[in-house]
Amino acid sequence: MLCLIVALPAEARPLAGHYKLRDKSASGPFSVFRNDTMALAVSGIGKLAAAAATAYLHGRLHRDGPAAWLNIGIAGHASRTLGDGVIAHRITDHASGQNWYPPQVLGLDLATDNLLTVDSPQLDYRDDLMYDMEASGFYQTACRCTTAELVQCFKVISDNRDQPATAVTANDCADLISSCLDRIDRVVDTLQSCAQQLAAAHAPSPELEQLTRHWHFTASQTHRLTELVRRWKTLAPDQPVWCSELKSQQRAGEVLLWMEQRLHTLPVKLC
Amino acid sequence: MFSHIYIEEQVREHPRTRAICARFPKAAHITCRHYGEVFNPRSQNFRLQKPRPALILARKHKRRVLPTPDGYGIGGSRNYYFSHMLNCLYDCRYCFLQGMYRSAHYVLFVNYEDFESDMDCILAENSNAPAWFFSGYDCDSLALEPVSGFAAHFLPFFEKRPDACIELRSKSTQVRGLLKREPLANAVIAFSFTPEEIYQALEHKVPAIDRRLDAMAQLQEAGWSLGLRFDPLIYVEGYREQYRRLFQQTFSRLDAARLHSVSLGPFRLPRTFYKTIVQLYPDEPLYAGPLADTQGMVSYRAGLENELTGFCTEELLKHVPEALLFPCQVAA
Repeated sequence: MLCLIVALPAEARPLAGHYKLRDKSASGPFSVFRNDTMALAVSGIGKLAAAAATAYLHGRLHRDGPAAWLNIGIAGHASRTLGDGVIAHRITDHASGQNWYPPQVLGLDLATDNLLTVDSPQLDYRDDLMYDMEASGFYQTACRCTTAELVQCFKVISDNRDQPATAVTANDCADLISSCLDRIDRVVDTLQSCAQQLAAAHAPSPELEQLTRHWHFTASQTHRLTELVRRWKTLAPDQPVWCSELKSQQRAGEVLLWMEQRLHTLPVKLC
Repeated sequence: MFSHIYIEEQVREHPRTRAICARFPKAAHITCRHYGEVFNPRSQNFRLQKPRPALILARKHKRRVLPTPDGYGIGGSRNYYFSHMLNCLYDCRYCFLQGMYRSAHYVLFVNYEDFESDMDCILAENSNAPAWFFSGYDCDSLALEPVSGFAAHFLPFFEKRPDACIELRSKSTQVRGLLKREPLANAVIAFSFTPEEIYQALEHKVPAIDRRLDAMAQLQEAGWSLGLRFDPLIYVEGYREQYRRLFQQTFSRLDAARLHSVSLGPFRLPRTFYKTIVQLYPDEPLYAGPLADTQGMVSYRAGLENELTGFCTEELLKHVPEALLFPCQVAA
């Protein structure tokens, strides 16, 4: 599941149209749109709102498996061209001075830059970096939900020294996001692929569920059982755990002992 | 090679930083206050980072040169290790680094001179016995040599200090720099090996065994002292024949009489590292094998470890005299 956080309805519109997301807001505090593989929440302006929307979306969706998170929005920059799509490689919260560094390891091949999250619109563009109002709240919250490599911020430059933020309209905002959909697609595809890779590595084990339904395991026994099932499936993927010899065991402790003894006899082959 | 280079503010103007950055003009430079801001955050995935790690240039402030654990050494009584770099170019699945560090980024400490200062202090403390300094614990000593210039910098330091010995441990074939200079009597270039089948399965991105042996043969021909490190010893079905073949292949290529040392060590990981690695690679057969947790250290079951070590020792003694063999007996 890929989760998008945007601040403005104008930012959400082109994304919802492009990815065919349906309104699932219900009566919640944030507008939510989703399909089977993607969800989008409209947070409103500000880092607190972005953090709250991130936490809210996580609460609604966490059962759907490991998520990747993407904040998409407009940003100002002293010198970059309007319409540039840029990934944040350092996010600084202006109020606290704290820094975060979204790992740039996904091979996105997009421009990256520093991003400063401010509490009010900046019109002097003092430093040569991106300015927004949501990223720091979004990023530190999303990193509580998943690994940092799957949390990224993609900003579209909407204003600069020559064309300041006061001139940006909602339509401009939507147009700018639309102009970057090809690059956004690249980010989305990469994040979804990585999230799927992680999910596959930690998929629930049907064998484990079958065993724990048949016998009562204590918490520590379940821990041991999980490890034994993992080892069994790795060393003998063609040998089902659930077999007649196992089924004849009376208690959970006997199951564990039987599995350990059986594992001792399995050859270790690395290829 | 690097799309992004993180640079601590305090080393931004360091000559080594400038030289390294000049090698990667297209990389984005990102300033940070301390490398830990990038390297240490908890919510990171080593496996996701490993295909494309970034470079972090930093300064190491303290604990630069540390005593080795008891039982670690190749004949010296005073043994130390140091790491100019964290993380390795290679991706060996048995490596403890993937369990110890949250990030796979390479951290290169550019303040080599401070490491040298610390070594001089150690040498001054006791001049009665030579001190050994081992490199290659947190990284490969030679793999990033064209970028780090590590060996090119430190070997002249050791050349002027005959009472100090250095071991450069590596799986690399980056030996051009070594071949271009006179060999040092107080330097050992040590190469690590596992059998071909294990290499193929576990040692990702590492040069082929043949190529490493070629590099070793060139170094030996040029007069360098060489070490062989069969570490860690890996248990698999058919290990006896695999290790036997490896030793035959190795000693058919190298002159055993001119080796400095041969060591072997069991496969061991602290429990916390093991758990982290299993989370990263739950399907890895290496971590599904006959391992046991004894006092917080995960290793092969005692009988099996003894069998593996005993067999390899016996086989190695067919090729090298006992005086050259140093089994690693690090306490758990």
